[in-house]
Amino acid sequence: MSRKQIYINNAGIVSALGSGCTQTAAALLENRRGLAPLTLFSLLSGKPLPVAQVDSIPLDSRLPRTHQLAMEAALQAVDPAEVSIDAMVIGTTTGGIATTENLLRSGETNPDLYRYHGLGTVAEQLAAHFCCSGPVLTVSTACSSGAVAISIAMELLRSGQATRVLAGGADSLCRLTYFGFNSLQLVDPDGARPMDTGRKGMSVGEGAAMVLLSTQKQNSTMAEVAGYGLSCDAYHPATPHPEGKGARQAMAAAMTDANIHCTQIDYINLHGTGTPDNDRAESKAIKALFSTPPPVSSIKGATGHTLAAAGAIEAVVAGLAVSREILPANQGCSIPDPELIPPQKIPERHPLKVVLSNSFGFGGNNGSLLITTPRDLQQTNTALSRPQLQVLGAACLTGAGDLNTTMAALQLQQPVAGLPENSEFSANLPARKIRRLKRLARMGLALATAARENSGTKETPHDIFMGTGWGALSETHDFLKRLEETDEQFPSPTDFIGSVHNAPAGQIALFSGSTGANITCSGGNYSFEQALLSAELLAGDAPCCVLGADEYHASFTPLFDPSFSPHTPPADGGGALYMEQATAATRQYPCLQTSFYAQAIENSTVTALVEKLGGTAAIHQRFGLVLAGIPAADQPLATAQLRYFSKRVDLNIQVVDYRKYVGQFASASAVAAVLATAILLNRKIPAAFAGENNTQLKRPGILILGLGRTITAMECYLP
Amino acid sequence: MANQMNTLVEELKVKLIDILNLSDLTPADIDENAQLVGGEHGIDSIDVLEMVVMIEKDYGVKINNKEVGEKVFSTLTALARHIQDHSPGAAA
Repeated sequence: MSRKQIYINNAGIVSALGSGCTQTAAALLENRRGLAPLTLFSLLSGKPLPVAQVDSIPLDSRLPRTHQLAMEAALQAVDPAEVSIDAMVIGTTTGGIATTENLLRSGETNPDLYRYHGLGTVAEQLAAHFCCSGPVLTVSTACSSGAVAISIAMELLRSGQATRVLAGGADSLCRLTYFGFNSLQLVDPDGARPMDTGRKGMSVGEGAAMVLLSTQKQNSTMAEVAGYGLSCDAYHPATPHPEGKGARQAMAAAMTDANIHCTQIDYINLHGTGTPDNDRAESKAIKALFSTPPPVSSIKGATGHTLAAAGAIEAVVAGLAVSREILPANQGCSIPDPELIPPQKIPERHPLKVVLSNSFGFGGNNGSLLITTPRDLQQTNTALSRPQLQVLGAACLTGAGDLNTTMAALQLQQPVAGLPENSEFSANLPARKIRRLKRLARMGLALATAARENSGTKETPHDIFMGTGWGALSETHDFLKRLEETDEQFPSPTDFIGSVHNAPAGQIALFSGSTGANITCSGGNYSFEQALLSAELLAGDAPCCVLGADEYHASFTPLFDPSFSPHTPPADGGGALYMEQATAATRQYPCLQTSFYAQAIENSTVTALVEKLGGTAAIHQRFGLVLAGIPAADQPLATAQLRYFSKRVDLNIQVVDYRKYVGQFASASAVAAVLATAILLNRKIPAAFAGENNTQLKRPGILILGLGRTITAMECYLP
Repeated sequence: MANQMNTLVEELKVKLIDILNLSDLTPADIDENAQLVGGEHGIDSIDVLEMVVMIEKDYGVKINNKEVGEKVFSTLTALARHIQDHSPGAAA
């Protein structure tokens, strides 16, 4: 099948090895080790462990460190003379947590100081700086985030939704990851020694890398991203499958995607963290696929494990490998483990055409990329079109309870905002299996389980796409609290594992045995929309689960979520949809799709939205109800946008500010999407939403708008 | 000595139920001589890490070696004995 080819036209990289492609290439050729005892923050007790710290970032104290690292890499990757960037996909797990930790320790209670806490703010600051108006997505799949971000960017390009995408990953050192990995006994006190017989773990690092991807080859083109493969082990929250089953699946999928056979691969850039389990499982997976493996090496003994940045950093290193003929060495390994594939001992210079780069993470989350010299293929300009996704089953959680009780309350014109009872929504989950899970993971599991049950099928969803604005606040809070209370000596390993944003989606996969893509997006109030967009780009033929959920946390929500108000009752919850590609045979199910996703730039974005929806006449014909998401923090802006939209299309149908009913929380739009599917199936608008109008839904569709700093549109309709 | 050991075993049962959220169990449900990790109560590697932290915090005994860990966490009795033998306050 011929399709668009995707090129890395420029790249930026910053790590403990230096800043920029030239410094990084030189460091790789010198086989330099970037590890040194931590100095970034002082410790209350104990000796600093070796880390891979970036010492040379120009300090902009207004921004958290992850944001600064991301900006430095992006400035290298984007030529200021470049016309425009259509979209961004950025992976991060830390966001502003390093700054948040300091603020919490000094007892700061001014929410304004925490405004860069959210993961999505890393990509948002880049989008603002580079005037990117298209989709700006934030991926948080732990240590595979960078590779997953590049994979999603590839599909944005293949589908024709963008022609130039900035993709990458960034993470800074912080207490959460420094002490977290140590609490799991996954840190080598002598510094990471990947593939070594005596290896004891990783060294946590920091850094960022960005690639400017395009379907247009240029003189500056460094490499081609020929394919990607994503999978989930669905085996354990923090340990890889012992045989590397998911890793093998991801590598094989990347080769199929690129139409490249394993005999063509010249070098494998290992995930190679240096933990006994990872390196063993990865070697087993490679041996299972390659009868004679090509040279392999991990650069994490040099760069440390830069978490969400790692996949992007290593994609750039793979780009350097093919463009500058560098075969990087496996720094830190002195006595290779005879059980593993012997790694490349010293750097070499010779032509390499095809590099496989692996990135694996918590939640059994795997991503593999194939980076090649630009290939001479028969390229096509045809965009890859994908079937629409239809909803076979849906579930939601609100202060009123599940979908049925929520709809009943709305029929009685009662608000449903509130905090769903943990004991109620967890009641049908196996007590023993959820004993370690706190609020968000339990909500996610309850939602995903109910959505599948409501579909009437037993088939396991293959892929999981989850949106969460704030992630697992309870675990993050409890980890940091105990860390401080015990003078940094006894943080909880369980809380660390649970604190990663993709922990709930990983748990869903673990429960249901979902071994396909496992994506968590975290873009503030638009996280659910990002998850749905990712599903549209990545989901295959098999059913998938798309969900959005957020938890309210008494200490953290008032600090982090600018839409929280002490004058309204706290609210949380979410919604889940069990979906599959629509076929002619199943026309009775509602379809749900993202029709629009753009950064709000004055009224022109609303005008673009109207055009995208087919213009005034089409909007009148298609939609019988508009559910408008107006985040309290953006209320003046969002209200103005809605007013302009209504005026522009001369709207005479009911428009509902649904957050007034379901509450102000980041993934409220997931609840709106679920309610829309229920309204469509009943053909009846609940009294709370109907106003004085007739409660009959008179058009085949419902429009769900997201307003504020980003403008989104989801359409729910019967085909 | 035997009495102290019994007290420690009972104390550990209560702590385990608490830190591992085994809320459907009572101390009487835990057999101190049965397989602790991978046994009927579903205690796994993450729980072991949580127990390692608790043992260091509450008893001052470090367990940071996987091989030692496997032996120490074989049963609750083995764990109690290890704590008793290695705690800073243990009679020399």
